[in-house]
Amino acid sequence: MGLAAGVAAAPGPWEQPAAALAEQIAGILGPGQAHLTIRNLSSIPADEIPVIRRLLAQDLKAHGVILAGPESANTVRVTLSESARERLWVAEIAEGNQTQVAIVDSGPVQAQQATAAGGLTLLSQQLLAAHEPVLAVLETPAGMVALEPEQIVLYTHAAEGWREQKRMAIEPRRQLARDPRGVLAMAADGQGFDAWLAGVRCSGASASAASAGDWTPSCRESDDPWPIARGSIAPAPPAQGSAASAPAAAPAPASAPAPAAADVSVPLFNAFYSAARNYFTGVVTPSLGVDLPPFYSGALIPRAGGAAALLIGGIDGKVQLAENSALHPVAGTRDWGSDFAVLRSGCGAGTQIVASGSGEAANDSLRAYELLSLEAVAASAPLAMDGTVTALWTSPDGKSVLAVVRNAANQYEVDRVTALCN
Amino acid sequence: MLQTNTRWTVLRRFAISVFLVLVGTCAAARTRPHYGGSLRVETEGDPLRSPDGMARRLVLDGLTAFDPNGAVSPALAIEWQSDDNDHRWQFRLRPNVHFHDGSPLISTAVVMSLNLSCSANCPWTAVHAVGSSVVFTSDSPMPNLPALLARDTFLIALTRTADGQTPANLIGTGPFQFAALNNGVLTLAANDNCWQGRPFVDEIAIGASRPIRDQWLDLSVGRADVVEVPAEQLRQAQQQRLTVVVSPPVELVALQVSDSGALAHPLLRAAIAQGVDRGALFNVIFQKQGEISASLLPQSLTGYSFLFPADRDVNKANELRGGLTPQPLTLATDGNPTMQLAAQRIALNLHEAGFNVQVVSARNAPRADLMLRTLPIEGADPADALAILLRSAGENAPVAGKDPTALFRAEHDFLDLKTLIPLLDLPRACAISGRVRDLRLRADGTPDLAGASLEGTQ
Repeated sequence: MGLAAGVAAAPGPWEQPAAALAEQIAGILGPGQAHLTIRNLSSIPADEIPVIRRLLAQDLKAHGVILAGPESANTVRVTLSESARERLWVAEIAEGNQTQVAIVDSGPVQAQQATAAGGLTLLSQQLLAAHEPVLAVLETPAGMVALEPEQIVLYTHAAEGWREQKRMAIEPRRQLARDPRGVLAMAADGQGFDAWLAGVRCSGASASAASAGDWTPSCRESDDPWPIARGSIAPAPPAQGSAASAPAAAPAPASAPAPAAADVSVPLFNAFYSAARNYFTGVVTPSLGVDLPPFYSGALIPRAGGAAALLIGGIDGKVQLAENSALHPVAGTRDWGSDFAVLRSGCGAGTQIVASGSGEAANDSLRAYELLSLEAVAASAPLAMDGTVTALWTSPDGKSVLAVVRNAANQYEVDRVTALCN
Repeated sequence: MLQTNTRWTVLRRFAISVFLVLVGTCAAARTRPHYGGSLRVETEGDPLRSPDGMARRLVLDGLTAFDPNGAVSPALAIEWQSDDNDHRWQFRLRPNVHFHDGSPLISTAVVMSLNLSCSANCPWTAVHAVGSSVVFTSDSPMPNLPALLARDTFLIALTRTADGQTPANLIGTGPFQFAALNNGVLTLAANDNCWQGRPFVDEIAIGASRPIRDQWLDLSVGRADVVEVPAEQLRQAQQQRLTVVVSPPVELVALQVSDSGALAHPLLRAAIAQGVDRGALFNVIFQKQGEISASLLPQSLTGYSFLFPADRDVNKANELRGGLTPQPLTLATDGNPTMQLAAQRIALNLHEAGFNVQVVSARNAPRADLMLRTLPIEGADPADALAILLRSAGENAPVAGKDPTALFRAEHDFLDLKTLIPLLDLPRACAISGRVRDLRLRADGTPDLAGASLEGTQ
């Protein structure tokens, strides 16, 4: 016996359906001869058809059906077909005047994969999938907290990924919004978490912080402002040819108190949220010395000389930079949606802004930009997302952004987006 | 109550709705949806007509719903389970949901609503309240019940107010509540306490009984935001540079054939099936919109519809008819002018196949030999979709199983009776103004107005 005979080749994608269909055909025809034709109505590439034909012939032969020419009394017409979701192989088996049908499922229709290119490449990795809307998640050493409109969900690490451990209702209940939003952050003591929703604030305390399941959240009605920037804005030293890795100290914003270096629990800015709507009112603390318009998103952007400025995405679609007690329009943001977050990638200038897309397409995209003076310049190709981005924020360490995506089936997933330097 | 027929018929579909933006895409930066404003919608029909008036889906919710992909998802029921081989189903109600008048959604109210909406030929034998659940029982299995309950027919309305009176207006739990009906305009106000969250627009004003031509005129001069586009007028809408949102095929145009009277003989019904020219209907009447079909479910749902030949064969029709010369037949359809035209074309086809067919109004001939009608293609699951379609055609046949071979056989065996002859699968469409944002289509091809928002509002 040769070496090759002892090593089983990995089965290809067509072996199983070919075997199943051949078995059904042979069950109808019985041993004998048949003429086989194949037509392709599916998205299977044409160069795969000879492979499929060979597999079918081989499997039919194993069941006693020998392929013959068109003169055969028996005809097997195989159609490679597909619905919107799955591939079907359909055999019409004609014996004289009688035709019988056999159908096998040959797997889901393959989705097209998008590729990205540019100064840096954005990569997406799914953290979590959920049926309910996810407003925010927070990863901690003890586990992960997910904020939903009516519940706080605690997850723990498991071999297969995050596993739901505990689910707690948010009381007091309040009016729901169709576009609900929320924020999660580590508590100042580093032992728990804080959550902000429209009209409600929750805290999750833990005696041990060893396990997310030990947390006990408590909520109260509150109009407290939400933290919109918490110290993840320090410019990382530029790096080339590697993924983001370097943490760095946070600089002081131009019109705000200097934050403690690298202390992610210290909010740099808080903004009042309009509980009946889906945006911030424009009132922020501490004051920037300039009146801000209502806005959907805000992020602290490192500027030259170690300073920082607040970038806001207004509800009128305009992106402006609050710097030196003045508001400046930012060019190059025409394609931005209303969600953006800062990514400390270490690539290029070190820090980029990741913004959702503004298109009317069913699926959103994320793209990295660098802010040169008052112009946003694309630093990556768009990263296609599998639906609409409903929330976007910077991770506590600043080296990734987290995105919540609602797909066409109204399912939610949380993706971590990182950058790879080109 | 408004009386005109409506085009927003009961239709559902599995696939992702497709935006076909023909012209006029907004170039400004896109933001999160804005709250506020009044959305102006126009329809040919009666928005309150039961069961499929477009306002009913805005005011009422079902126990279940189809998500945009056509999968059955929780609505007023948050979970359900079947027992006894699908003879018994228990649906647990969502807590803390209230009707628009403030009364809580309780299981007895749901049962009263279901009994009112389905007094005969229901999918179930009995429905009763058990605590916070609603329990359905049946003598025959109900494998498709969660999907059937997502249909407009079974939306939950308040039937008795707290003081025992019948509500004067439609009261539900949906994103909008009845506000006024004046001069043919139905006004619905946003439900701030909706369990799904408050809708973005403050109100929706639905102009009823508006001819398509007037709707398009109103859209062009800024008096309407969402108007109807019948499938056969999609090309015309394109030529007029309207911004059109089009669904995949969500309704089946079919010829229902009586198996009694003049067409009791199966060979005559088979001859009818061979004599219809689907190509002419597709090319001429429906202006090449949709797809020719000889199967109940479309290819995109099953992957096997090509197994049902759609070609016309007059010789075969004559052969099947043999020496049989049936008495003159009646072909009925509703008042829709396009369906009337299609019926006349079919009568002409059948005349060439040796039949004498007279086109009549469905209102005047409820027991016609032939009935041209549209049937819904609802849901992503082919078995559910087939069950819903057959039920709409008057067949109360459960369809179980996911096996494509079994499904094909069920469809094949039914079509072999020649009591329903599929003709075309049609999409649904609407045109929108430049200020409408985020309008998507539901699985049935109707616009999801509760998810839409308007530009220039805050």
